[in-house]
Amino acid sequence: MHNSKAHLWFIAPAIILMIIILIFPLFLAGGISFTDYNLGNKTFEWIGLENYDKMFNRKTYVKMIWATATYVIVVVPISVILGLCAAMLLNSLRFGADIYKTIFFLPVMATLLAMAIAWEFTLHPTLGIVNNFLANGCGGAREFIFGFHWLPWVDSEQSWYAVACANNMDFPYWLKQKNTAIWTVCFIGIWQAFGFNMVLYLAGLTGIPRELYQAAEMDGAKSTWEQFKLVTWPMLGPTTLFVVTITTIRTFQVFDTIEILTKGGPSKTTYVMMYAIFEKAIQQNLTSIGAAITVVFIGFILILTFFQRYIIEKRVHY
Amino acid sequence: MGTISLKNISKSFGSTQVLNNLNVDIQDGEFLTLVGPSGCGKSTLLRIIAGLEQQTSGDVLIDNKNVNKIRASERDLAMVFQSYALYPHLTVRRNLETPLRLRDYNAFERLPLIGNFSPNKKSKTESINQLVNKTSETLQISELLDRKPGQLSGGQRQRVALGRAMVREPVAFLMDEPLSNLDAALRVHMRSELSELHNSLKTTFVYVTHDQAEALTMSSRMAVMIDGNLLQLDTPQEVYDNPSSLSVAQFVGSPKINIFNGSSDSSGTVNFLNVNLKRKSSESNSDLHIGIRPEHLEITNDKDENTFGGTVAYRENLGSDIYFHVNIEDNSKKIIVRGLPQFTHQITNGSSVNIKRDSNKALLFNQTGMRIHFNNAMG
Repeated sequence: MHNSKAHLWFIAPAIILMIIILIFPLFLAGGISFTDYNLGNKTFEWIGLENYDKMFNRKTYVKMIWATATYVIVVVPISVILGLCAAMLLNSLRFGADIYKTIFFLPVMATLLAMAIAWEFTLHPTLGIVNNFLANGCGGAREFIFGFHWLPWVDSEQSWYAVACANNMDFPYWLKQKNTAIWTVCFIGIWQAFGFNMVLYLAGLTGIPRELYQAAEMDGAKSTWEQFKLVTWPMLGPTTLFVVTITTIRTFQVFDTIEILTKGGPSKTTYVMMYAIFEKAIQQNLTSIGAAITVVFIGFILILTFFQRYIIEKRVHY
Repeated sequence: MGTISLKNISKSFGSTQVLNNLNVDIQDGEFLTLVGPSGCGKSTLLRIIAGLEQQTSGDVLIDNKNVNKIRASERDLAMVFQSYALYPHLTVRRNLETPLRLRDYNAFERLPLIGNFSPNKKSKTESINQLVNKTSETLQISELLDRKPGQLSGGQRQRVALGRAMVREPVAFLMDEPLSNLDAALRVHMRSELSELHNSLKTTFVYVTHDQAEALTMSSRMAVMIDGNLLQLDTPQEVYDNPSSLSVAQFVGSPKINIFNGSSDSSGTVNFLNVNLKRKSSESNSDLHIGIRPEHLEITNDKDENTFGGTVAYRENLGSDIYFHVNIEDNSKKIIVRGLPQFTHQITNGSSVNIKRDSNKALLFNQTGMRIHFNNAMG
């Protein structure tokens, strides 16, 4: 048995497959990122870190990193918190919870492609129902609410709504305007992600023993907030870790909304990494720069996974 | 003080009635056990006392104060749960501190970091530490204080759960089958420890169990509940010797009491198998159940008008006692007879034996299961 090589035969298929389809492409991408190779070229030159240098110095790629970072930093916390709140609300419902679950889960089930087209119509600057709704509300309750006139420091003459009404219904072009595009995309991202997070949290909530809440009550935790702090939040630790990791990876990978709604524009404000890879490597055949972005992308994901695996994991499993 | 009174407590879940007009007065410092088979509503009753469940009708009085409208956290009771319900993310020390922190610190002092600026927090923290240390010494869990519940054995968790209840000196302790997750040896050991704890704390204990042995060994009084009804509330000895009904007699005592079908004639003489009892039943001319506990039957060599015969089906050796499961003539049920090892070692499965009963020990029940008394104490 000691000298038998049989075990190698057993593990070889798995190892070989893993190398061919998982590890080799990764190293290939890494290798290409140090060259000037473009798809179809017969030769290539080693150009060292030039691709990476471009990424951190050329305006386009700096904008790419900003757009990605903005998207992740906005969508992850908001969709996680909203998901948790919705899950806790639904969990406290006696009936009707199933209907809400289905409704909130719809964006997750539906193909984003179709949904994005619906959003495009909805947010169309002149034909979309959003701007029509706003335009019809000038001077009315809608202006009061969405113009934030109810906040004491907002001047009702100078609010964005009032100004838009005064300027011949000059409402934002949402996806076509530099200062609103990324936030609109973020909004759609949240809209899409929070239903999924809610379902994960609902599963996590059912796993909390009811006796723990009763113990907390007997121990004198009177307010919902105290019980949340003492029981719900710590017991949801593993769920939260999972939800945050999954959401972060998914938001890093956002592509279809961008491809359909903005194509990275206007002026690269929504130029997220996944879309950049697609545009450079696939549409423009600039394989090497695409590979470099991919490597950076994988780097982000690896750091995140490492952080989850070795630092937070230890603190949420008891 | 720690008296608890339950007045006409009823509880139903939808159309299912789980508690039926219960009245219990629990005295200060008493160890009262609520015992009954699973599903009899005993845990529900405990949770109604705790305030975790609302009764459908009736009143709960703690120290003569009606607490119907007072929520669980304000009734000043402590509860030990079957699953222990320790906070898994907190160390044992923090678990013990939690009830004190929630009650002693005000909302501001509980805030992280800035709460430490409150002038009173330091002295409160010191008194909390002292109480935690005192409790952990009593329960011998001082060396576990820095561990988390996940790193403890079942018995240790049980102690921590007890400690969390003890640490703030409540009006009464409510315990919901606290020993049922322990292994048999530890369970027996914890029984005596709980009794000792009760003796030293002198606080009211309300203890729920389905194990009649726990009820018999620990309680000052036990309340036997079956199907949402309180059947008997008395000292363990009295419940055992003088059960009020057939169900109580069958529930309390292990092995189970033997039930014979018999009848009484016009003079009240009770007859079963071929045996006549000397005592006369107060109910004449009726069919009866006669209950005799296994330890009141013995295997004998003599055969007379007070004995009946049978065949040993199974010999259950417990070391100190041997229980014989005996098939008797014209009765499909097996009866159980206790024997002492030194006198019965030659009896094996399949042996024919004569069984003699101790006089004055039979219990009579009528067809509805109610206890019937004898007319005279003789015979």
